[in-house]
Amino acid sequence: MYALTTSELMERPDLWRAVHRLRYEIFVEEMGWDALRRPDHLEIDQFDHDEAIHHLVIRNGELAGYQRMLPTTRPHLLTEVLQDLYVGTPPAGRDVWELTRYAVARGYRDGRRGVSTVGSELIAGFVEWGLSRGVDKVIIEFEPMWVLRALQLHFLATPLGYQRTYGRQEVVATLLTFNEATLQVVRARRAHSAPVLRIGTPELYSWKQAS
Amino acid sequence: MRHFEDTLAYIDRLQRADTADAICRELLGVTSTFGLTALMAGTVPQPNTPSGRQKDHVMLCDWPVEWLQRYVARNYVDHDPVVVHMKSLQAPFQWREAATQTQVDRDAIRVMGDAGEFKLRDGLAFPLVTLDGTVVMVSLGGEAVELSNAEFNMISLVSTYAIGRAMQLQSLQSRTIDHIELTRREIECLQWAAVGKSE
Repeated sequence: MYALTTSELMERPDLWRAVHRLRYEIFVEEMGWDALRRPDHLEIDQFDHDEAIHHLVIRNGELAGYQRMLPTTRPHLLTEVLQDLYVGTPPAGRDVWELTRYAVARGYRDGRRGVSTVGSELIAGFVEWGLSRGVDKVIIEFEPMWVLRALQLHFLATPLGYQRTYGRQEVVATLLTFNEATLQVVRARRAHSAPVLRIGTPELYSWKQAS
Repeated sequence: MRHFEDTLAYIDRLQRADTADAICRELLGVTSTFGLTALMAGTVPQPNTPSGRQKDHVMLCDWPVEWLQRYVARNYVDHDPVVVHMKSLQAPFQWREAATQTQVDRDAIRVMGDAGEFKLRDGLAFPLVTLDGTVVMVSLGGEAVELSNAEFNMISLVSTYAIGRAMQLQSLQSRTIDHIELTRREIECLQWAAVGKSE
């Protein structure tokens, strides 16, 4: 998994396009978030700002997985768009980031219901990424079924508010706290103990061939 | 729904529970307010699973002892309309819907009649999906069950934390006995002892 800032992503138009195209395919075309519909079939919002971090998982030279990390020290989805998902004051600070747009490309979802190897690389990736920079908490707005998976991976989970229905989806905002022990469990579950976070930027073979 | 702070307190207590029995106690403490006094959670065994192996599928259980014995001895799991309905629906439902929406044969009527003897006349069942895609069925029963959507959401969320805690305890346990050579039977006994059952 690669972690890129928005400006690093923009320096690579092939990657930038692959990211926003995958997000469009999954969140607009598959999940039906119609407010994000655009004629260019790219999903981009106000939170793709210069402090966002983009996590990319590459398989076979193509973008197979993605998630976006947003700092909670400035406006983010929970405080600006999903306010009805929290009660009281949502957690914020340099050690808390918000994980959004978790996405596994259609061809990389191994099981019908289980978490794919691309999906688990994104999970191992954000834990590694967080621990390497003093972040040990993420806010995620996800389907309630993810709560059980998070607990299985030995995250400490705390709901931030009531469960809501958005379209066909049930969503609950949850704070996940993690440490080295969580990372060990995640790695053991994947049967893959090596770090997944890579330095630099990836190659996309399919784009090279296409252009 | 009750106050959000109450839900947080329930979840906090569940995450501190260190035995399966303690988890059951905490969860039923919450659900009994809504008339749900009995709990069974686990994976659904394949049809014709021998009764001796059925308990391998149990994660949390607080049923009247006699009812549990009868359920296992008579292999009710293969005929229970709640289990049958869960296998096909894989979504939350209320027990009484299972009786009207599945083909109820004589065996199913017998299961329901017997359950009624133990004051299990209605309840909720909902599926949870684990990391590897296995479906865990949670079933909570009692005499009369009336819940709003918000109450149902609260109960299913708190139950999810209960099952999650049970799975954490199971995995911690299997890691600590990893380096000791145990037979499959011995491991089963330990697991069974850990959920507080004796036989």
